[in-house]
Amino acid sequence: MTQDSIVADNLPYLDISDPGFSIRSSEVMRARELCWCARTNYGLAVLRYDDVQKLLRHPKLRQGSYRWPTLNDVTGEFARWWESMLLSQEGDNHSRLRRMANPAFSPKLITTLAPKFTELATMLIDEFAPKGECDFIAEFTEPYATGVICELLGLPFERWRELADIAADMGLALGVTFKKDLPTIEAATRRLFDYVEELVEARRAAPKDDFIGMLIKANEDKSQLSDQELLDMIVLAIFGGIDTTRNQLGLAMATFIEHSEQWALLAEQPELGRAAVEEVMRVRPTVTWVTREAVEDFTYNDTPIEKGTTLHLFSQSATSDPRVFDDASFDITAERKPHFGFGGGAHHCLGHFIARGDMTEALKLLAQRLKNPRFNGEVEWLPDSGNTGAIRMPIAFDPA
Amino acid sequence: MKVHVNMDICLLHGQCVIAAPEIFSFDDNGDLHWVEVIDDSQVADAEAASDACPEQAIILG
Ligand code: HEM
Ligand code: HEM
Ligand code: SF4
Repeated sequence: MTQDSIVADNLPYLDISDPGFSIRSSEVMRARELCWCARTNYGLAVLRYDDVQKLLRHPKLRQGSYRWPTLNDVTGEFARWWESMLLSQEGDNHSRLRRMANPAFSPKLITTLAPKFTELATMLIDEFAPKGECDFIAEFTEPYATGVICELLGLPFERWRELADIAADMGLALGVTFKKDLPTIEAATRRLFDYVEELVEARRAAPKDDFIGMLIKANEDKSQLSDQELLDMIVLAIFGGIDTTRNQLGLAMATFIEHSEQWALLAEQPELGRAAVEEVMRVRPTVTWVTREAVEDFTYNDTPIEKGTTLHLFSQSATSDPRVFDDASFDITAERKPHFGFGGGAHHCLGHFIARGDMTEALKLLAQRLKNPRFNGEVEWLPDSGNTGAIRMPIAFDPA
Repeated sequence: MKVHVNMDICLLHGQCVIAAPEIFSFDDNGDLHWVEVIDDSQVADAEAASDACPEQAIILG
């Protein structure tokens, strides 16, 4: 993956496809001091808060991920979905799809789900708490993140494993072995579409004002939301909602283990739950960068940016930028400027009311039930770049 | 109905412009503008925009 560098050679350089590359390394911090951006083996990396803020919504940029299948020389059902779904669309088409989807993701609908989140978290904690230890990913964040999506779709919790497995197979598409894994990815994509089609048929037969019901309502005018677009949107909610939430909650636990006094504070003051989510997403966002692509030549900060250049907007580096956060240490009581963990601009995460709601409920309960949490064996991590997080996290704690 | 945006918390995502383009718009400098008094036919759009705003910066009254 290379892209001809179009900028002055005196910019710092970051090798972001080195498996050892870390978004939190001193190398990135050094680059951030030298310049607002760095060259990479694939376009530019934007490092500072103010610039990430501006470029997330810059009119000369579009979302960059739509090219992912083409870059990997992949076609098929996954590629068709990826290229037509909301995140890959721009302009009028994106606006139309987003307007149609908005009611299904509205804060009003989410508020009604909050008691369900609490119930789900309690049930999962009850399972493992008496042992005083667990794999926090396998026993909490994964079933919880998937259970929330089951709740949203109106599926019984017992279906979570099935959904998690399909999503995991489909998620292989985001890895470096995309092309090699294509048969698995295509099979999972077809299974998920079949599954979603069944769900839609069932809801059509028994209408309800829930998430799928709202999307079916939008689908009544096919020129606004076609049958295919309806299915594509539900698949996106499943695909985009599970791993992100799983990873973000794992990162939350790791951060609190390193700051035990903050965990104790959260247990004492559960009303800090919402602020805790924001502060975790500032210091350890799972989406460490989002991509944008220049739609025409333009100049930014005196740097000429050529049409087609990919910009990696480093949310992780931006929200630890000392220009904006003079004391950037983890503190859930501090007043902070907003983080970029949900992106920003036209593509700002559509599921953020859900994600914020479910993570707040989870952290509040966990802090009260799991005292003094600590690592209890080797934590297995994804690379510390791209979409990051733990895939195994053995912890021990004192049950309360 | 009156429309107000709290510019202290607005982050210029433009979700309101997507949800209700007749009420909210960006100018060439990227500054947000909105119709301050709307009639009954626009209330549903304004509410959709207010719901969609990620920062919950839109106040209707
Ligand atoms: C034009 C679009 C994109 C470009 C140029 C790009 C580029 C890169 C690069 C250079 C890396 C470093 C590792 C590697 O060599 O693969 C990487 C890693 C990663 N990217 Fe992307 N990416 C793009 C889109 C996406 C999208 C759409 C996603 C998912 C939403 C994604 C998810 C990831 C993940 C999870 C990693 C880290 C995991 C790994 O290294 O296998 N990327 N990307
Ligand atoms: C902690 C959990 C989550 C994180 C960190 C997260 C993060 C993000 C980010 C960074 C983007 C923007 C990508 C870009 O600009 O390139 C995004 C978009 C999106 N997210 Fe999330 N997300 C989370 C949970 C969810 C959930 C639960 C859902 C659905 C139920 C969801 C649905 C979406 C959709 C549909 C988009 C595309 C919006 C558009 O293009 O207009 N997300 N998310
Ligand atoms: S959606 Fe909200 S934050 Fe975004 S521009 Fe409109 S008012 Fe501002």
